[in-house]
This record gives sequence, structure tokens and C-alpha cells, in this order.
Amino acid sequence: MVISSGSTEDNVNDDGNTQDVKQEVSSLHVDTNVDDVIEKNDVTDRQGMEIPDGDDEEKDSVAQGKNSSITGDALIEDGVPADSLDAKKFAEDESIVDSNNDDISEENLIKDDLANGPASKVIEGEKSSGSDVDDVSNLKADSSPSEAKESKDIGDSGSVDAAAVQQESGIHDGQKELVDKGEQNATADLSPGKVVDDSSDESNVEGTRLDDETKKECTRLDDSVQAEVSGEKVPIDVNASAQLDLNESDNAPPILKTTEELSPENELKDVQNTSEELDGVEEKEELPASAVKSDDPASTAEILENDSVQTQVAGATTVSEDSTAGDEFSAAQAREMNDTEENSHLTTRAEVFGSKDTLNGSVKVEEPVTAISTSMPSIEEGVANEEAGSESKKEQESEDLPAPTGARTETASSDASSSLGGAGPSLPVRPAGLGRSVPSLDHATRAIPRSSGSSASARQPTTIDEENSSNTDVSEGNDDAREKLQMIRVKFLRLAHRLGQSAHNVVVAQVLYRLGLAEQLRGGRGTGRAGTFSFERASSLAEEQEAAGIDDLEFGCTIMVLGKSGVGKSATINSLFDEIKSGTNAYSPATTKVQEIVGTVHGIRLRVIDTPGLLTSFADQRRNERIMASVKRFIKKSPPDIVLYFDRLDMQSRDYGDLPLLRTITDTFGSAVWFNAIVVLTHASSAPPDGANGAPVSYEMFVAQRSHVVQQTIRQAAGDMRLMNPVSLVENHTACRRNRSGERVLPNGQVWKPQLLLLCFASKILAEANSLLKLQDSTPARPFGVRSRVPPLPFLLSSLLQSRAQLKLPDEQIGSEDDDTEDESDEDADSETEEYDDLPPFRRLTKAELKLLDKEQRKAYAEELEYREKLFMKKQLKDDRARKKEMKRRLASLPKDVAEYPEESFEEENASASVPVPMPDMALPPSFDSDNPTYRYRYLDAANQWLVRPVLETHGWDHDSGYDGLNVEKMFVVSKKIPVSISGQVTKDKKEANLQMECAASFKNGEGRVTQAGLDVQTIGKDLAYTLRSETRFDNFRRNKTTCGLAVTLLGDTIAAGMKLEDRLLIGKRVKLVFNGGALTGRGDVAYGGSLEATLKDEDYPLGPFLSTFGLSVMDWHGDLAIGGNLQVQFKVGRTMTVVRGNLNNRRAGQVSVRFSSSEQLQMALIGLIPLLRTFINNKILNSN
Amino acid sequence: MMASSQPREWTGLQQFPVATQNALHALLEKLRKEDVNSLTVLVLGKGGVGKSSTVNSLVGERVAAVSAFQSETIRTVMCSRVRAGFTLNIIDTPGLVEGLFVNDHALDTIRRSLLNKTIDVMIYVDRLDGYRVDNLDRQVVRAIARSFGPQIWKIAVLGLTHAQLSPPDGISYSDFVERRSNALIEMIQKEVVFKKGDPQIPIALIENSGRCSTNSGGEKVLPDGSVWLPKLVEHIVDIATGSAEPIVIDKKLIDGPNPNKRGRVFVPLIFLFQYLFIMKPMVYLMKRDMESEVRRRPSWEVLAGQKEESPSAVEPVQTEEY
Repeated sequence: MVISSGSTEDNVNDDGNTQDVKQEVSSLHVDTNVDDVIEKNDVTDRQGMEIPDGDDEEKDSVAQGKNSSITGDALIEDGVPADSLDAKKFAEDESIVDSNNDDISEENLIKDDLANGPASKVIEGEKSSGSDVDDVSNLKADSSPSEAKESKDIGDSGSVDAAAVQQESGIHDGQKELVDKGEQNATADLSPGKVVDDSSDESNVEGTRLDDETKKECTRLDDSVQAEVSGEKVPIDVNASAQLDLNESDNAPPILKTTEELSPENELKDVQNTSEELDGVEEKEELPASAVKSDDPASTAEILENDSVQTQVAGATTVSEDSTAGDEFSAAQAREMNDTEENSHLTTRAEVFGSKDTLNGSVKVEEPVTAISTSMPSIEEGVANEEAGSESKKEQESEDLPAPTGARTETASSDASSSLGGAGPSLPVRPAGLGRSVPSLDHATRAIPRSSGSSASARQPTTIDEENSSNTDVSEGNDDAREKLQMIRVKFLRLAHRLGQSAHNVVVAQVLYRLGLAEQLRGGRGTGRAGTFSFERASSLAEEQEAAGIDDLEFGCTIMVLGKSGVGKSATINSLFDEIKSGTNAYSPATTKVQEIVGTVHGIRLRVIDTPGLLTSFADQRRNERIMASVKRFIKKSPPDIVLYFDRLDMQSRDYGDLPLLRTITDTFGSAVWFNAIVVLTHASSAPPDGANGAPVSYEMFVAQRSHVVQQTIRQAAGDMRLMNPVSLVENHTACRRNRSGERVLPNGQVWKPQLLLLCFASKILAEANSLLKLQDSTPARPFGVRSRVPPLPFLLSSLLQSRAQLKLPDEQIGSEDDDTEDESDEDADSETEEYDDLPPFRRLTKAELKLLDKEQRKAYAEELEYREKLFMKKQLKDDRARKKEMKRRLASLPKDVAEYPEESFEEENASASVPVPMPDMALPPSFDSDNPTYRYRYLDAANQWLVRPVLETHGWDHDSGYDGLNVEKMFVVSKKIPVSISGQVTKDKKEANLQMECAASFKNGEGRVTQAGLDVQTIGKDLAYTLRSETRFDNFRRNKTTCGLAVTLLGDTIAAGMKLEDRLLIGKRVKLVFNGGALTGRGDVAYGGSLEATLKDEDYPLGPFLSTFGLSVMDWHGDLAIGGNLQVQFKVGRTMTVVRGNLNNRRAGQVSVRFSSSEQLQMALIGLIPLLRTFINNKILNSN
Repeated sequence: MMASSQPREWTGLQQFPVATQNALHALLEKLRKEDVNSLTVLVLGKGGVGKSSTVNSLVGERVAAVSAFQSETIRTVMCSRVRAGFTLNIIDTPGLVEGLFVNDHALDTIRRSLLNKTIDVMIYVDRLDGYRVDNLDRQVVRAIARSFGPQIWKIAVLGLTHAQLSPPDGISYSDFVERRSNALIEMIQKEVVFKKGDPQIPIALIENSGRCSTNSGGEKVLPDGSVWLPKLVEHIVDIATGSAEPIVIDKKLIDGPNPNKRGRVFVPLIFLFQYLFIMKPMVYLMKRDMESEVRRRPSWEVLAGQKEESPSAVEPVQTEEY
């Protein structure tokens, strides 16, 4: 990578800024990404503080057992940013920022999955509150710059602080970047109106200069900082960039996940997968949403009401400032940084995805048509600038990307066009649902073909060529999928055509955009042919086919209607089919049971599930539930593609009056039902009511208000504030105004039927495309597709690497808790035998006698007592061993038929303890409940082989008993030699239920070889993970045991498989070494991990307390290496047992803990004083400072 | 509690179209003949059906705040208008439904705020263009009967708002109105048990919208050509002059009967009964039992009992405990 001198200068400059920014950061108490922090040396010390207590807990919850350090590290790493999210206010932002270090974001995801971390909740919360445009813009601005920054660092590695970053972030090299780039291109192309190019470029540029933190804070920065940072740019540019940014964020579909996987090899695929999935999701929610959203400016504003329009604006402006700054910074570097840029592009995308629909919606409002118009000239001006001034030239170039300088102008213009286009489909100002689409169509027309076709294709080849030099891993075979996608596109165009909708209809444009997006993400895999986007082809093909009258349109759509009784569900169905298919009644419920209505509309097969209406009284709730249950049964076999929720436009239910009804629906179908739902408002031609001033409100206002109420209620019912269900208006009245072709027309001039159908079809088409591109997921097969996610590989890996105790037959179990020690300690046993027995007889003194002794005597007595205790323990140990040995010998010598003995004894035992005995009560955490627990929490120790115990959660709420769970265990023996253990734990509190189950069986196949197989079921996030594992242990030498294991985990719809190798080695009597290593792969992603544990024991360990353990664990996940080490030393000083524990990871996060335990009162008191003293002293120091 | 204003001159009356004014004056004249010089009308109904709008229409002024999208009336409002010695009081109330429930609290508040008022007529407002009569409606009707006594339905007028509609499915307007109002009235009669001879609840159609079509005289007319406002007032006047007693909302109605006072006379009788037929026999039986007990005791125990009674016999037992 070459760095031009100009750029370095800028760098320096920038560094200065960074300092400022950093200060700002700290003053804001914003914790930023750990990596970044670390990379900035000056901030390193912060890190210490950044290890929140919570991390430990998280660690605990995630990782169990030895290898916890692996996961732990990973978690810590992500934990910090996650926690900081809280402070930072942009959850997504964080994850996006991380997205370069993919694993980190991954970690976030994992955490999400585990759903234990508070952070994930925070994220949720943020998202839900995310309708705040401020956030959006912040988010956007933040993430992309940071991304860019990182990439920049890579770019000029060697300069300033880049090296550190590289190490930290583990970003690899050209290869990965290439990949990214490919994707980026794709993204850029796709977005019909997407300005991603521009804005991301800008942010890139900016990124190159600014440090991560700076970037993150960019949005926060005051003008002053920006002024400082920026300088020479033309004001117009500011505008432009701002608008562009906005646009971009508009387009942002909600793909949070896209950010995740970028491991060098697999990332391509992953990204595709994820983005596709996400696409699906977002498509469902967002696409139609936008249509609705854009009802009209007023309405949107209305919708935003809650979302504080002002902040929005503020956000926008900040963004613009930022991006301007970025522009400024964009130095000549840009060229070298192509890859980098690409990177950032990608991120932008991802982040864009990350921002939720709501955000989209709200942002959309904000971008006015003027934005579009301004953006064009401004960009052009930018080009002009660039040509004029040398410095600005560089900037522009960088801004305008990879394209060779010659083509600069061209690129710029294409950008501009794309930006225009971007405005097109996402154009909010136009009422999507309500016609009036003529003016905006202009934009759309230009936007679609140009941005998706020409600009994209023009640009793609160049970038890709550059990239291709190093990109060797080009995957072929997309053609098939591409072809299919093209078919889908054609199909959709034909559908639209049949419905009489042009390709410029908002919904159509959105769908095409999304399809393109999907294709490009896929095509971005580096084939270089991605540029062949084929809107024209598709549209001409569609027209041809339609003209030819070929009736081979393989398309059918299943629609389910839900809603209150008497709102017009059946009537709407009749209107759709233009005949009486379902009985209606103006006075009493006409539809009494679920029925399926099949027919064709415009030659399109349509299957509608008509349902009885919901009743509005609480007394009828039971009935409603029954109705919903019957509907659920009905749709079990063939789930609907889309759900229509009906309400009347002219009958407002106030104050969330319908919420209980909607809750019933949610309870029955799950909140996923709303993700694919369209709100249908009937009686759409009714006159708007009178407003506050006595004059009737405008129709648009009326519709917007009602839509808002219903949408808001749905959000409440679904518990997802990001939901933005599209709204479609319907009028079934026979007297409804009709146009010349006899179609019903709404007061706003919209022809509702095609619009409604189009919305439905769009949803279906997108689902189809989704299932086509996403191989693993079968969205259509599921009632309401569950998003599949990448399995939390590090977590799974660490649980795989965990070494498990071997199951033993009951008799074997008797003695050998730790068979490692057993073997070698055998021999030495006899050395000091009988020592205890040789001692003279000794009588313990009574208390009274003890009182009579003087000090010296008492001490002597205590020592004597101690000595004897020690000897006694030794003797007991020895006896134990001897007994065990004896038992073994006996067993071995016994003929086989006598070997039944163990089982018999087992049963005997049972018989003897046949009377259940109450177990001692557990100590309860303090609460306000009754102190007398006699009437509860009692459990019996029965002879039953099933051991059932309550699980006590000590960190529960106040007033909470903490008995949230149940633990069940059973051990038994199958065919006399296979011990099987089953244990399960179920905990359920108000929020979540957790299940953890383990079955294991072990089998001895030959001397020294034991195979153990097991099935684990556990809750990870909301999914159940099923793990099938097996491992075999070879005792190949006396002092060496090797274990090989395999595990397959099924989590949701993804499968992860892994293997491990473990070796235990004993060196001498005192040293034990355990190494293990393993790899786990899932969804094309691989995680490697390993650990080493060395233990140094005291000469006679159980008696001599000295023990030191050193552990080291390594986890590598697409290039990011997490290394953690820990050390534990335990020794005794006098009578005080001291345990020193320390751990450290490669993020330089560590922890030291010292624990003393003593039986002497004075020492105990002194130790207790330490924390007090410390606090006191600290306070003193603080005060004096 | 209630924002009641000092009776003001009914200026809104002059704002009505002349034909309407004439009709109303005729009705007022009729009232005067009956020697009724004040009329109190209570408007009840679910939320959002148009109660406040109806009040505004009746008075001819914007006395109650109306919003298209949310409930504006959060408490009971009475407006009084005086016209030539005649006082019209109209009481607007908040909606009676919250969520899926009847808001009993709201009802109670309404009732308390109407303390010491006499209700001559109650208008129960619902929408004509609702297609269903459901359990919630029944509950509302029942709740009204419960709070104000079933008698209130005797002085009720059923007001159906949004009357300017074209019925669905090609049903004729009059048919639709009849079916809809019959459904509601049947429901009401079923919920509030009406006797055979009771008069039917009159039905008044209401259209409050500013875009209600008007006839040549400027009067708001319904799709069937009738002018609705005089009709509504006519129903009100009919009821006011009719046989049904007005409802007086007094302490008793609000608090309900005092259960402590019910059947107080019987208390001494019950005591006497208890004394004679329960206490006496019990005492008698107990005494008899004790006597028979003593008689059945073995002789040695009787002796021991005698000893116990003496102080010396008691002492050793006590020391043992130590």
C-alpha cells in the first residue's frame, strides 16, 4: 500500500483531532470498542476499567468448565463494547463498528443468542427506541467511518498506529478485502437509489483520517471539531453528503446480521447467506412498510410524532457534517484504499441493514425530494472541484472511488444518478399506498434502470478487475441461482403487469431493488459478471411473455385475514375475487368458521383463508382464543404467505382498545405473525371526521392517523417497536366510486385492489427469492420463518473442548474420583505407613480441661492435635486406596457370572433406603417472605434412582424465593456394563425458560479404551441446541491418556460439527499437563481453539496444600485470535490458606484476585479490614487530589 | 366535580336554520304547555361514537371539545342554556368502555358528579354504521342499568350517529336502519327486563358531520330526506312529557341501600329466639350431662376427686413439675 505524502500529512492532522475527540469521548463516558481502545496506546489504561463486573458473569454463563477462558475471552472482548452500548446509545452502531473485526460482532450475536447478557437486551432496547432518527443517522455516520478507519489502518499499516489495529482486529489482507469489495460493489449496484457509494466513500475517506473513536464520536462532535477537521470543502458538498447519507440510511434494510462473518475464506458465503436471510426479514417488514410509510409527508410526520422529528433533523445535520469532514479528509490515499473503501462499503451496508425498519421509515420522512435534487448538482460540483483543485481533486478521487482517474467524472455522475435513484424507490414523500404517484415516478424511472443497471455495471468491472488480481477464490456456479432469480424477477414483473402496475410503482421498485440486492450480494462473490443486472432484460422478457399470453405463471399466494368481527374481512375477499365467495352479513357475524377460498384474480391463483371475526368484549376473550386456535390448526398444513389484519378506517378504537385482541393473536401465532402482516383499513372511502377547528381533516391526515394507531397497537402487541406494517386501504361498498375500467377507486384516487394484491405478492416473491438464495433455510415451509443465525461457534467449541469425567459403573465409582492421581500414588503409599498407628495413644481434652492449661501448653496441644490430624488424614487416604485396589483385584479375579454383584448391591441399597427422608432445607436468600419455609421447598431423598432437586438462584429479585428450577438426575446401568447418566435442569423465571439436559453413556471397549457418547440439549438464546457428542479415551501409556472427540450441534436450522483431541500427561508425581485442541465448523465458518493446562502439585497433595495451576487457552475465529491465560497458586502460610488467581487475555484485560482463608480470628479480622482500609485510603487520595 | 356553567342564553338556537328553529319552538311551546320549564338530558354511550358531537349539534354551539382521533371528554360536562324561561341542561359524559371492559369507574364518576340532579331524558348513543351488536354492548347497557337503576332505560332515547351512510350489500336505507336499531333495542330490552306494556325506546338518527347533506332550508337531512334534529328533540320532549318518572340521582342511588338498616327490627326477636331455643336447651343439656357423669363415676374416683379438692392433695402434683 502506498501512502502519498499528502495523506500522511492529513493523518497527522487528523491525529490531532483524534486527541480532541478522544477527550470528548472520555468526557462523554462512552466506552468504545475494546480493540480500538487498545490500539490507541494512550487509551490503553482505560481498558482496565472497561472490564465490567458483568463480564465475569457472562463468562460464567457462557462457558463452563476448564476451557471457559476461551469463551470468556471472547466474551470479554465483546462484552465490553456491549456494555458500553448502554452508554453509547447506539447498539447497532457498536456491532457495526465491530463488523470489521467480524468476530466481535459475531460475539455480539452470540451474546444475543445466549440472551443472557444484559448487553443484548440493551441492544434490543436501543433498537426499539431506534425510531429515533437521531440514532439512525448517528449510527450510520458512526459505523461507516469507523469501518473506514479501520480499513485505513490496514491500508497504511506501518504508519502511526496502524500496526496495532491490524493485529487487534485481525483483519487479514487483500483477500478478505477483495471479498468485501465484491460485496460492496454489489451493494452499490443494487440500490436503485442507493447512494451507498457516495456516502460510504465519503465516510471511508473520512474514516481514513479519523481514528475509530473519533469516528464514533463524529456524530457527537461539535462543529468546532469538525471545522478543525475539515476545512477546504465547499459548503454545498456538505449538503450533498448529508443528503446522501440520509438516503443511504433510508435504504438501509434491517440486516443486523450482515455484519457478522468475514472470515477470510468463508466470509463470502456467509455474508451472502446472512444478508439474504436478513433481506428476507427486512423485505417482509420493510418493503411494504415503506410503501405505507410514505403516505404523505404530513402523515409521515405524524407517524414520527413520537419519534421526535426534531432530533431527527438534528441527526441529519450532524451526519452531514461528519461526512463533510470525511470528504475533507479524503486524500489521495483513496486509490490505494480501494479495498478499504470496499470494506467500509460493506460495513455501511451491513449497518444499513442493521438499522431497523422503523428507522427506515422515519428517516424516509426526513429526506425530502429536495434532497434528491440537491444531491445531484452538489455531486457534480464536487466533480468540478476535483478537477479544479489539486487537493480537492485527490479528495474527490478518493471519494469517487476505485474508478481510474480518467473515468472519474463518469463515476461521479453515475453516483449522482444512483443517488437520485436512491431517492426514487425509497422516496417517502410520495404516498405509496395512496396513488398520487405521478411526480415521484419520474425519479423512479430514472433511478431503477440507471442505478441498478448502468452505474452499477459501469463501476463494477473496474473495481473488480483491480481486486481480481489477488482474488483467486472465485466461485462459479452462481449462474444457476442468478437465472432463477431472474425468473423470479420476470415473474414479479409479470404479476405487476397483470395488476396493471408499472415497474415504477413504489412497491414494484422496492421489490426489484431488493431482488437486485440479493443478487448482487450473491454475485459479489467475485465472478465479475455481477454487472449484468438485468432489469431491462427482465422487463422486456416479462412483457414478451405477457404479450404472448403464456399462462405459465407459476405463482400462487396464500393470504390469511384476521380482524374484528364486522370490519369487512369477508367482504374484502369478495371484492378481491369480484364475486360472492364468502357470505357477509351487515348485522351479525357471517363467518363462523375458518374457511379456505380459492380463486383466480388476474389469472393469478389466490388462496384466501377467511376467519371468524374477533369479538371485542372481554367476556368473549375465551371465544377469541378458541377461534385463533382453530385458525392455527387450519393453517398448520399450509401456512399463509401473508397475513392481513383488518380494521375499519372510520371506526377508531381509542387508547389501545384493541390491544387485548391483538395480544390474543400474538399469543396464538407468536409475534412472528406480525412480521408478515399488512394492515388493511376498510371503509376507506368514508369521509374524514371533523377536525379540531370544525372543518373536516384531510383524507391523508385521517388515514395517517388511523394507520398510526393501528400500527402502534400492533407494535405493542408484537412487543417489537421496530415493526412497521404496511397499510392498505380497502373499500368494499357497492357504491364505491369506480374508474372507467370498473375498478374501485378510493377518495385519493388510488385503485386499491391491485395495490393490495401487489403488496401481498411482493411479500411472497421476496420470500421465494429468499428461499432460492438461502439454501439452508426453508422459509416457505415454515409458518413464519425463523431467522437462522450463525451458530455461536466459540461457545460451542469451548463446550466441546471441555473435558468430561468418565462415567463409571457404580462399583468403580466408589473409590476413584480422580483416577489420574490414583495410579501413581499407589506405589509410594507404603513409605510412611503406620506412622499414625505408631503414635502413643492420645486423648482429646475437654473444654473445661483446656481452660486449665496455660498459653504454652495450649499451643503445644494444638500443634500436637494438628500433627495427629494430618497423619490421620494420610492414613485414611491410604486405606482408601488400599480398599479400592482390593476391590479391583477382587473384581478382576471373579468369574464373569459373579460380576453381577455390583448391580445387586445397587438394588440392595435402594431397598434399604426405601423410606423417603426429607432433605435439609436450603438456605434462602434474605427476603420479606415468611421465615418459616416448612410449607415449601421441601424435597425428599427417596430411594428412587431419580434424584430430583430444586435449583436455587441466589441472584434473583427481592421477594423472590429464587426457586426457579428443577434439577433431575439419574444414573443407571444398561446391560451391566454401560453406565448411563441422565441429568437435566429446567429453570424458568418470569422472562425466560432454560433447559439443559445431558445424557451420556460410556462403554469400555477393550482395556484402556473407553468410549463415551452423549446427547446434550440446551437453550441458547431462544433456540434449543442439540449436541450429539462422542469421545474415546485411550490410556496408551501409564502416564498418558489421549481423548478424541466429535460433536455435532444442531441449533435452530444450522448445524455445526467439530472435533477435538486431548492429551493428559503426567510428568513425575507433581506435574500434570493437559492439552487439547479442536475445531468446529458451521455455516462455512471455522473456529479453532486449544488450551493447555499445567498443574504442579504438592508432594503429597491432598495433605500439603500447595497447588499451582497454569492455563492457557487460544481461540481463533476467522483471523481473530483470542488468547487467554490464567494462573492459580494456592499455598498455606501458617494457618492462612492463600489463593492467588490471575488471568490475562490478549486484549490486555486481566484480573487478579487474592483470597485468604484462615481459622484464626485475629487474622480474619485483619483481612476483613483490608477492603475497608483500601476504600478509606482511596477516598483520601481522591479527596486530596 | 362537574364543570357546570351558569345557565346562559341559548344563542345557538338562533344559528339553526329557520325551519329547524320553528320546529324547535313548537316543541318548546309544547313543553311549556305541560308546565315543564327545565329539561335535563344525559348523554351516555361507548367512546368515540359521537356523544360530544351530538351535544354540540343539539345545542347548536361548540360546547364540548371534540377530536377525531382521541377521547376529549375526560369528565362529565354539563351545559345549560336558557331560552324564554326554559332551561335545557345537557350532560356530556366520557366514554364508558376501556379496552375490552366497561369502565365501571367512569360510570361511578359520572353518577357521583350528577348528585342531586334530576335526569329527564337519557340519550344512549351508538353508531348506526356499526354492523355488530356484541357482548360489550350488552355489558354497557347492563352497567348503565346497574348504576342508574333499570328505570333509566324507560326515559331513554336511542341515538344512532353517523346516520348518513349508504348501507352495504345493496340493502335499502330504511331496512338497514330498522334492522340495526331493532338489533340494538332488542338487546337493550333483553338486558334490562322490560315489561310488556312498556313503551318502545324511541330511535333518533343523528348525523353530526359537517358534511351532512342539507335540504333547501339549510337543515341537515338524512339519506331518506328527513331532518334529524327536530326529530331527536321531539323524542326528547315526548319522553319528558310522558309517563315515565324522571330519575333523581340522590345519595341513596349513588351509595346504594345501607345494609346495616335492613331488617333492624328483627334483631331483638332473633336474640330472644336464640335465648329461648338455643341457649336454654344447651344449658339444660350440659347440666344434665354433668350430673350423669358424676353418677356414673366409679367409687374410687369419686374419692380421689374429693381428695383433689383438698389443698393437700394438689400440692404434690405441683412439686413434681419442678
